[in-house]
Amino acid sequence: MAEITPLATVECGQRPIREINQEIKALIAAGRTGIELAGPGARHNLGVGIVQLARIHIRGSAGYYCAGLIDGPEFEVDGSAGWGLAESMMSGKVVVHGNAGNGAAAAIRGGTVVIHGDAAARLGVSMKGGLVLVGGDCGYMAAFMGQKGTLIVCGNTGEAFADSMYETTCFVGGKVGDLGTDAVIEPLSEEDIAMLDSTLATHFSAGERARKPAPRAFQKIVAGRKLWNFDKRNWQWWREAL
Amino acid sequence: MCGIAGYLHFSGEQAPPIGRVVLSMLEALGCRGPDSAGVALCGPRHADSLVLRVKLGDHADFAARGADVEAATARFQAGGFTRTGPYLRFTVPAAGELTDLTRAIEALSPDIEVVSAGTALEIVKQVGSPANLEATYQVSRFEGSHGIGHTRLSTESRVDLSHSQPFWGHGCADLAIVHNGHITNYHQLRRRYEQNGVRFYTENDSEIIGIYLARHLNQGKSLESGLRAMLRDMDGSFSCLAVTATELGFIKDPFAFKPLLVAETERFVAVATEEVAIRAAIAGDYTVREAQVREFKVWRR
Repeated sequence: MAEITPLATVECGQRPIREINQEIKALIAAGRTGIELAGPGARHNLGVGIVQLARIHIRGSAGYYCAGLIDGPEFEVDGSAGWGLAESMMSGKVVVHGNAGNGAAAAIRGGTVVIHGDAAARLGVSMKGGLVLVGGDCGYMAAFMGQKGTLIVCGNTGEAFADSMYETTCFVGGKVGDLGTDAVIEPLSEEDIAMLDSTLATHFSAGERARKPAPRAFQKIVAGRKLWNFDKRNWQWWREAL
Repeated sequence: MCGIAGYLHFSGEQAPPIGRVVLSMLEALGCRGPDSAGVALCGPRHADSLVLRVKLGDHADFAARGADVEAATARFQAGGFTRTGPYLRFTVPAAGELTDLTRAIEALSPDIEVVSAGTALEIVKQVGSPANLEATYQVSRFEGSHGIGHTRLSTESRVDLSHSQPFWGHGCADLAIVHNGHITNYHQLRRRYEQNGVRFYTENDSEIIGIYLARHLNQGKSLESGLRAMLRDMDGSFSCLAVTATELGFIKDPFAFKPLLVAETERFVAVATEEVAIRAAIAGDYTVREAQVREFKVWRR
């Protein structure tokens, strides 16, 4: 992400989070759309609810719900992020250079979430659009009940991957821990390979890219659509799913 | 909620006092649970003596109770008695039988309880904030290699010293645990233990983890195998830390209901409910990750 100069610096220190977020909004309103947060100290709720276009660079780790409920801005986190990263975002972009906690990109409706490290449990659950890209591994129950959008994991996944999905499309470069209920592996199409190629090229440096699996090595996982409508003859699936 | 934290320093030199590190972590987690705060810290190991910390009662004449405990422990060659508030601290030769000793002390009154016993371990906990804990007991001065701490938001049982965490693994020297979560098959397990004559001191479901691991270790099994067995025997949510005289370990439940962040370097290991606690206590450049489901690990000094 190119920096906007001059950057406006918000010192987090021990100030209340509400004050920090209000200062961010005031800076954006005054036209200072390039902002860095200094000394974030992994505190919670940084940058929640920003609905203007801006670039916000967090110089360290963020705590829970970082960049949640945003619509438009781009976030970059130098360290790691806690639970609920970018939860329910509408649009924008969130890049984390470290690892992410549970429930990253949960219920997003659009935008892009890039996690260069590993994601913990419940990545992208109930996502309703957008793109989630993880450079490392992801934990258990990723993409659970995913409704739309694309989830790409370059490394391995945890258990119950892509369980009970509606229509999210998943790609896994490493090993799938185990497939969730009604998750099925589908052959990659040429469009999928082209999409993976351009997505990885867009979000990773050439050096990083070289360490990721080739687009053709990814597995595609989609919903088997057997849980879309209840059928009592298939109650065994439901028993497993619930 | 509740906040848990743990720290282990690998090399003996340049280690900050363990009490200071764990206290800093707890202060950062204080907002997760204002009901009580406590630490279980491991100092240099005494080769031939056990340190006991005894709670003298809930609302008693502590000086008189202290004298009673001194008299009752004379035949175990107890010595070095000091008292702070409701706590009596003293040492006994390590060779003796721990069960007989705790029975002799706890027989004095139902509200007298051995809070910890160990060659290296000491537990201090009380109602109130981490700052209060420091004001009363100066835990930040405690020197040692590793320790764990807890701030409590009570959800299922009363708020008093005994119901606070860390819990000693009753009957197993040097074992202590902290737990964030809820053990849902607690009553079932508790009935089974009580039928075998195990005494429970509280109605707090977390207490059973200490008792469970103590039985494992007393059977000669490792802490690692005890933590792994929890995945089989305990239902519910648990992010749990445990210390022994030489180890720090953690376990996370099969659903990842509760957070647990891990920072692991060549110098130290820090684990906590929130990264903010690790960053507040330890400066420098290191990475932090969330533990995965069913993950457990034990680090040794």
